[in-house]
This record gives sequence, structure tokens and C-alpha cells, in this order.
Amino acid sequence: MEKPLELSRYCVPFTPFTKALEESLICLVTTAAVRAKSDTPFNVEGDNSFRRIDSSLSTADLSYDDAHYDHACVDRDLNCVFPADRLAALAREGRIAGVTAEHFSMGYSQALRELRETTVPQIARAVSAVRPDAVLLTGG
Amino acid sequence: MVTVQRAIEMLGVPTVLITVEPEESAQARPPRALCPRGFIAGHSLGRPEDEALQKWIVMDALGLLRETPRPGEVVHRDYT
Repeated sequence: MEKPLELSRYCVPFTPFTKALEESLICLVTTAAVRAKSDTPFNVEGDNSFRRIDSSLSTADLSYDDAHYDHACVDRDLNCVFPADRLAALAREGRIAGVTAEHFSMGYSQALRELRETTVPQIARAVSAVRPDAVLLTGG
Repeated sequence: MVTVQRAIEMLGVPTVLITVEPEESAQARPPRALCPRGFIAGHSLGRPEDEALQKWIVMDALGLLRETPRPGEVVHRDYT
């Protein structure tokens, strides 16, 4: 596979946002190891794969696999790291146009080179393919 | 996280990050980033079941898309 374009850290890629939020489809991307309950769990010790999350699912249908952040909040409300229900509510209220058909989630990994060269380009292409007007990213 | 953000932005999709590790995020130079001051990992959107607070932070983050660009910086805001 072609190696991804390397950009100096001092350069910041920047795509202007020209639409109104009320006309925009938003995609959610997290590194908090969230997934559909029916999907394969992440390996909490290290996992370079990513999961697609059907955006019609509510957080009640989702789970997470993590051993690296505090779980007091997410055990009660996954919106603390993955605000899927909040985006759905904002869409119902007309403050955004809606969400993309899928959201995306990555797990914990220290295999940074493989992440950078494989997982990151894959997830970026997958995100772009669902045609979001903007992407909201959240960590753990 | 910022690595993913920058990769998506390079494909021509505007992005905004909500981070609770602002020093680490700023070093990686995010296109747009919001740090809700005082929150920690696992609580990026604040308190559980506080829908109003979580929507406020989400809308503030999305609002950065429309504000004067500050690429590479992390914007800090209070939500108390």
C-alpha cells in the first residue's frame, strides 16, 4: 500500500468549513474503544483495528473495552466520551442536519508506527467515504 | 487522536477535537480543538446523564468550525 503523506508537525492541515451547521452531517470518531454490543470486542492491551458504529444505534446498544481511563462516567452514560445520543438530539432539534450513517471508533494502542502507517489512513478514508460535512473527534 | 484528525483534515473534511489532554494535543498540532477545562479522561463531555452540559460542549466544539481559524491551537473554555 502507498505510504501516507507525511506532513511536518509544524504544518497544520486545514480544510475551511463553509456550510451552516444546520445543513451539516456530522460524523463522530473516538479513540475511546466504543463499539456495538454485537461487535467484536477490542483487545484492551493493544488493538490497532477500528470499528464502524451504525449511527441509528443509541448508546444503550453500545459498549466499550478499555483499561486506561476512568470509567465512573461511561459506566453510567457512554455520552461522556461518545456523544452519539446528544448528536441525535441536536439533529432532532434542527441544530445540525443529521449524522452520517456510521460513526467510527479506535481502541488503545502503543504500536504507534503501525497505527500511523496503516490504521490511521484506513480510518481516514472510511470516514471520508461516509461523506461528512464535518467530523467531531473525542478521546477517552 | 490528533494524528487521525490531521489525516481526515488532509482528505478535505473539516474536523474538530474535544480533548482533555490539551498539552499533549497541542504538541500534535490539531486543526481545531476544544478543551473543556477541568475535565479528565473518561469524562470528556462532563458529567454522566447531564444532557444539557454535553450538548453545550458538543455545540461549542462544532461552533469552532465557524469561528476564526486558530490551527494548531487548543481553545480552553469553562463549563461550570
